[in-house]
Amino acid sequence: MQASLKSKHVQHDATRKLRLQEWWFRNRALIGFAFIFPWFAGFIIFDALPFIYNLYLSFTDYQIGTRGIPPWIGFENYIDIFTDDKLFGKSMYNTVYYLGFSVPLRLVFAFLIALILNLRVRGMELYRTLFYVPSVVPLVAATVIFAGFLNTRYGFLNQFLVLIGATPVRWLSSPDAIKPSLILLSLWGFGGQMIIFLAGLQSIPEDLYEAAAIDGGTGWHRLVYITVPLMTPTIFFNLLLGLIGGFQIFEQVFILIGTNGGPLQAGLVYMLHVYNKAFRDFEFGYSAALSVILFLIIFVLTIMLVYTSNRWVFYGDAQDDET
Amino acid sequence: MKVSRLFGLAIAVMMLFSLGLVPTLAQCDGEVIELEFMNWWGAAREALMDTLIGHFEAENPCVRVINQVQPWDNRAELLATAAASSNPPGIIMSTRPETYQFAISGLIIPIDSFVEAHGTDLSVFYDGEIGLQYWNGELYGLPMPTAGGLTSLYIYNKDMLRDAGFDPEAPPKTWQELEEMSAAITVADPMGVDVMGTQVIGITGEDASFVSWLYTNNGRYSSDDGRTLLFNSPEGIETLEWMVNFTNNINGGVENVADFFQDTAFAQGDHPWYDNQLAFLRINTSFYGHYNVNDPEGYADTSHWGTMLRPYNGDNPDATHAGTTGYNYSGAWAYTIPAVHSPEKQEAAFKFAEFIGVHPLGGCAFLFAQSRPSPVRECNENPAYYEVNPTWSVVLEGLATDVAVSITPVQGQLAEILANAIEEALFGVKSPADALNDAHAEMQALLDEFWAEFDADNM
Repeated sequence: MQASLKSKHVQHDATRKLRLQEWWFRNRALIGFAFIFPWFAGFIIFDALPFIYNLYLSFTDYQIGTRGIPPWIGFENYIDIFTDDKLFGKSMYNTVYYLGFSVPLRLVFAFLIALILNLRVRGMELYRTLFYVPSVVPLVAATVIFAGFLNTRYGFLNQFLVLIGATPVRWLSSPDAIKPSLILLSLWGFGGQMIIFLAGLQSIPEDLYEAAAIDGGTGWHRLVYITVPLMTPTIFFNLLLGLIGGFQIFEQVFILIGTNGGPLQAGLVYMLHVYNKAFRDFEFGYSAALSVILFLIIFVLTIMLVYTSNRWVFYGDAQDDET
Repeated sequence: MKVSRLFGLAIAVMMLFSLGLVPTLAQCDGEVIELEFMNWWGAAREALMDTLIGHFEAENPCVRVINQVQPWDNRAELLATAAASSNPPGIIMSTRPETYQFAISGLIIPIDSFVEAHGTDLSVFYDGEIGLQYWNGELYGLPMPTAGGLTSLYIYNKDMLRDAGFDPEAPPKTWQELEEMSAAITVADPMGVDVMGTQVIGITGEDASFVSWLYTNNGRYSSDDGRTLLFNSPEGIETLEWMVNFTNNINGGVENVADFFQDTAFAQGDHPWYDNQLAFLRINTSFYGHYNVNDPEGYADTSHWGTMLRPYNGDNPDATHAGTTGYNYSGAWAYTIPAVHSPEKQEAAFKFAEFIGVHPLGGCAFLFAQSRPSPVRECNENPAYYEVNPTWSVVLEGLATDVAVSITPVQGQLAEILANAIEEALFGVKSPADALNDAHAEMQALLDEFWAEFDADNM
């Protein structure tokens, strides 16, 4: 009797479990949506709606003190940007100059450090931690430290240059040195990219290197013919994020040289111009238009990169499928 | 009695006032109005402002003032976003260009009706001080501290003059004397300048520096009605040429000046002045309080330093000493009232602004404790000032010779163009004449556009 009851109970449990699984399976899409809902809600509230509102503002003459609906002026802000705004070109040039050097330099630097940290050496965990520590330091703190390093008279860098007999550099007071100083500062936060590179390096199958060694491949051959091709997806990812982040450089410039962009506005990057238009000239509509243009530039550049990535990014699985 | 002791005594008296002499808070019969007071009276001044607020609340038990001291960094956007928000502070401390900007945007209200209703006597202020707070014929705030004394005064190091062979009691009166003394005092080193006589350019914002020198060469920034810019006159070009030549010949270039002052501020103890590395320092009237806090012994030793007026062009027979008021972004402060608040809250805000402005225990005592002059004439006649600030007579002379500059709500944009033009001249990108003429054309176009819109709106 007892055994029969137990058997019924087990059967009942199994049925319930089965029904639950069926329900789960039938409603899997709904459950999936429920899981992503917090992110989705955050995206709508904090990204999508502000973006749409910003887009709307860019077509208005919204200034400080505008109450109610700001006056609609169509494309006037955009026309002014391309015809009247001298600082649009200058700030874009400064930003592109910064990007042109900082993004590749940071990529190469992070990649080289990741290669070194991928070696099998005792205490490597400690070295990896040490190299990542700068990335944990808040950007504001790092920039303030750098400002001290770059001080012409008392900074570490110039003291070192004088010590080795080199000419000191006016890092923050010369228009020619402002952008190199910012590029130098950008290297500080290489740790994030380095970690991604390191993860990528560790996912390369060891047997490929063994095969190369058997075929007489040198270290250089292994790097050029195995490591770099297999790392191209990671390089592509870091390049994309570096470009997007580089276009939006703001905090470090703001702290290091102020809102005017330093001498002769040599460090006036695009986001500083956007900021000045909003908070110094109180032209929020115009500033919104500037930020929409930046979005479009980044968007087009991303599309181009993704499109051209087929030519140089090596996705191992895809290649296998084709063959 | 030593000056520092007197200074300390003055602060102690203020503290005692706050602790003991303030009458017990009267009970409020009605509803208590909370008044958020957005201001930039930080550092040692915060306690003084709390004392002032204590006095005000004792007289006005139905108003509770919340002292919201703001950081100086990001001041512009803090102020702009607060003023433009749907729930701004009850009362805002703003500079003249900002007051005008907010006034024209309708963010703040004119206070003429309150002045009339309360019978506030505006004649207690210097005309030049209260005059700066009017826009389009309406008064928007009561001043405190002075707009004057921001550009007209220099402090100088008597020891350095003595060591260089000059009479320490005869500071330079003209540009030419300033050049001679600065050249004799300046010591260069491989990193730039080790000891500097002085610099004639600004550390931040070259435009304000140029405009100040312009007035000591009998030049003017703009017409009285603020509609025409006049700075590219022959006097203006001569002024900028002199600034460029001084910077290149005596300081060794604009970069040397920037490097010399890099990461220093006279509000902090790291400024070259405190290390006897700078002979002449352009100050505003807040300097005395900072000097006393950072180096009380140095401040007390008046055989070591003195105050002088900004030198003028000795080669121009029409030129004389002058300072400017109300031009730059860090001057002509007033306490303005946002438009969105209830009439009761606006009334409370005006009472507080009036207390700050004209009450003896308001701005008068607050500024005395910092050895700073007040925009209220009578406050500055306090003989005790001569004890807390031994160079008080020069400070008053500086205030008396200040000239008010006409500006408009677009001053921020105009200043940016002028500052960049002056930088171009200093870095040799353009000649002083070309830099000023190009800037003038651009700025006048912007100004004309503003006035066209303004006139159309006020037809």
